[in-house]
Amino acid sequence: MTDVLERPDLVEVPEIVESTVFDTPWVTIVWNDPVNLMSYVSYVFRSYFGFSKAEAERRMLQVHNDGRAVVATGSREEMERHVEAMHDFGLWATLAKADDA
Amino acid sequence: MKAFRRVGEAVSAKFEPAEADALATMAGQVAALVADRAEYESDPAVLRLLPDAYPDDEEASAEFRRFTADDLAARKVANATVVVRSLEGAVHARSATTVTLDQQAAQAWLRALTDIRLTIAARLGIDDEEAEPAGDPLLLDVYDWLGFVQESLVAAVSD
Repeated sequence: MTDVLERPDLVEVPEIVESTVFDTPWVTIVWNDPVNLMSYVSYVFRSYFGFSKAEAERRMLQVHNDGRAVVATGSREEMERHVEAMHDFGLWATLAKADDA
Repeated sequence: MKAFRRVGEAVSAKFEPAEADALATMAGQVAALVADRAEYESDPAVLRLLPDAYPDDEEASAEFRRFTADDLAARKVANATVVVRSLEGAVHARSATTVTLDQQAAQAWLRALTDIRLTIAARLGIDDEEAEPAGDPLLLDVYDWLGFVQESLVAAVSD
């Protein structure tokens, strides 16, 4: 028989749940700049995010026409990796909570 | 210069010695700027090469920078070094020389050309798509030429 009184304390669980399961997703945003070539931005979207040619073109035009586009959604850590990769390519990228984006 | 084209798995272009020399010099200058970025913290070019990740959160941006800037800067220097190395033969040649890049070198070139163009754009104050760029006409010509080089490289690697 197990002694139910010996079960682990659950006090900390709600904190974990709050910080992971119910966390708002984050987004990676690529901003328009007057330097990067449209063909290059589209190439980066294809080669890094694995978008189809049509999808990459659509997001590139969104950056160009609207000034910015969300290119990925997920955890903060994941989005930080994407932003770093975009900076490596020379694209102007930032991250934000999906709610604020 | 003769535009990049695909040759099997590689891409190649032809550079005049003066073009190769100019491009290698610019790549070296960008590498030096990035390597010594601590001295140029408020330089608009450095701020554009390593931009804030959190535009509305200075603290988070500083934290992100602390964890990523060294790696990013090292990769940017390495990319520029690949460009300088690939051009060594063409710089010292007497006539236009074919420069061939394997896939890895082409990736370094794409990024280095971007970094050079971003740096020149910052120097020229190009920050608005609509505005007619002003500034040193010679530098503007170089900037346009770099755009041509990169456009042809993007087309060749996408081919």
